[in-house]
Amino acid sequence: MLKKLNQLSFVIGLFFILVAIILLVGYLLGASLKQPINLYSGLGMLVFGIFMVMIKEQEEENHS
Amino acid sequence: MRLHFADYLIIFLYFVFVIAVGFIIKKRIKSSNDFLNSNRSIPLWITSLAFISANLGAQEVLGMVASGAKYGIMTVHFYWVGAIFAMVFLGVFMMPFYYGSKARSVPEYLKLRFDEKTRALNALTFAVMTVFSSGISLYALAKLLEVILGWNFDLCIWAAAGIVMVYTFMGGLTSAVYNEVLQFFLIVLGLSPLIIVALQDAGGWEGLKANLEPQMTHAWKYMDTAEHNKMGINFMSLIFGLGFVMSFGYWCTDFLVVQRAMIAKNMSAAQRTPIIAAIPKLLMPIIVVLPGVVAIALMQPALASKGYAIPMGANGEIDYTMTLPSLISHYYPTGLLGVGITALIASFMSGMAGNVTAFNSVFTYDIYQSYFVKDKSDKHYLNVGKMITLFGILFSIGTAYIAASFNNINDFLQLVFSFVNGPLFATFMLGMFWKRTSSEGAFWGLLGGTIAAAITHGLTLAEGKGGWIAPMFPISSGMGQAFIVASFSWLANFVITIVVSLLTKPKSDDELRGLVYSLTEKVYATEKKWYLRVGPLSIILLIITILLNFIFF
Repeated sequence: MLKKLNQLSFVIGLFFILVAIILLVGYLLGASLKQPINLYSGLGMLVFGIFMVMIKEQEEENHS
Repeated sequence: MRLHFADYLIIFLYFVFVIAVGFIIKKRIKSSNDFLNSNRSIPLWITSLAFISANLGAQEVLGMVASGAKYGIMTVHFYWVGAIFAMVFLGVFMMPFYYGSKARSVPEYLKLRFDEKTRALNALTFAVMTVFSSGISLYALAKLLEVILGWNFDLCIWAAAGIVMVYTFMGGLTSAVYNEVLQFFLIVLGLSPLIIVALQDAGGWEGLKANLEPQMTHAWKYMDTAEHNKMGINFMSLIFGLGFVMSFGYWCTDFLVVQRAMIAKNMSAAQRTPIIAAIPKLLMPIIVVLPGVVAIALMQPALASKGYAIPMGANGEIDYTMTLPSLISHYYPTGLLGVGITALIASFMSGMAGNVTAFNSVFTYDIYQSYFVKDKSDKHYLNVGKMITLFGILFSIGTAYIAASFNNINDFLQLVFSFVNGPLFATFMLGMFWKRTSSEGAFWGLLGGTIAAAITHGLTLAEGKGGWIAPMFPISSGMGQAFIVASFSWLANFVITIVVSLLTKPKSDDELRGLVYSLTEKVYATEKKWYLRVGPLSIILLIITILLNFIFF
């Protein structure tokens, strides 16, 4: 996991997953965040984040 | 606009990540080359996105949305006439010289091709320009956050500068480049929902066409004469002034963007960097031009029920700069509002970090090492590079406060930058493609072009600006004036460089090998797959660009 932090795609993916979690959890639990745009944007960012985390960056791994 | 806990949490998360990137990169920094040039080891996808992101600063994001609102779809000319053609030209024709000459910076290439005085002139003006640009970015960020969120101006200046300082000091250029890629995705993903909801609200593209005057939704149709369009220029001025002089001058010679291609792993990747970057650039008008056009449509009487309006400035006229923040405020609820504000902050910080890292490379290599302390150990230049980063940030803070003290300082500096940048492409074009161009010709051409820019500005008057010699030629928009000033400065540089070169002695062929087109071994594609080759990629890009111009004609 720590080694993966050397990969930029992983770091970017992680960031968007966390942002998506804030939006989605907020949508489910918070009244002020209960807007469809938060739900759809959160889902979009979650998909993008997971995609970036899954990308294998061989070139980047040389640095680790 | 009021933020809640979720919004602050997203902004805080972003700050944590950009600083963390600096700490992660720190352990890779072992030499001045690592710190200032990323040791030419950055993968293609990162250099390409950093290339486009270095330009995706505050001026681009806020400025293009504002231009979209003011001039309509014509603003796409900055992309589909200007940027794409220039980026392809850089990749195909100019990168072989920048990368192949092993120059560490654009001024260093000028030294190899011409002489020390041309390098010194370019290095000094570039260093001053970057540090001022960085400061203006910082000022604009703090001002925006003060106006829309009521945050403390001083706190915003020092906090934003502090964060940029931490990650650029830790990881140098690599850290800035990595954060630029994060910022790119944040800006694109953070602003995409805004386009969807706002466009839907305006009735889609058909709704825009129905509610706006036709000049706002056609890119070329009303460019036959300057009087028929809001930019106040005809198609010839646009193609030459923007499409050729300004765009090629910026994308092909500005070290801030060229530096991102120069740190690629090999020549092929360096050539493909601007070409791959041109793909998202082609689509960028959706993110940064369309919102402005939608905003104006939403203010039309038929859509008044939507309750949206761009705020008015102190002079009682529409404050176009506030178009994007006001759209975010109108459409984004808590949560996504935090993402939108973070995207705005990212665009400012991206612009600032890009300027600071370009500044420290040029200052360390082209000024300090060339004129002050030569032949020291690499460790010495690494430490100097780091110190220059700190000074660069401090200068930027100083500049931000200067900008805050003088009403017109931003306009004045942007004007000076255009005087310097406008003619520069003529120097490079002649230097790279005409071996007869002499060092004297390049130097005097550059100076002459800058003076011609100042004189043209002094004789033209647009939106109350210029005309300080004699307001002999009125122009209806500031943008049109900028194109005309750039065109005359380029022409003056071009003519003076040729005349002086013909009267002075050029460098020998041996000295120019690898620096001039006719004396350089041609680079042929080594990639087996066609879609990885520079030629086919460029042709496809240009065809799509031309098609887009026809579709939105």
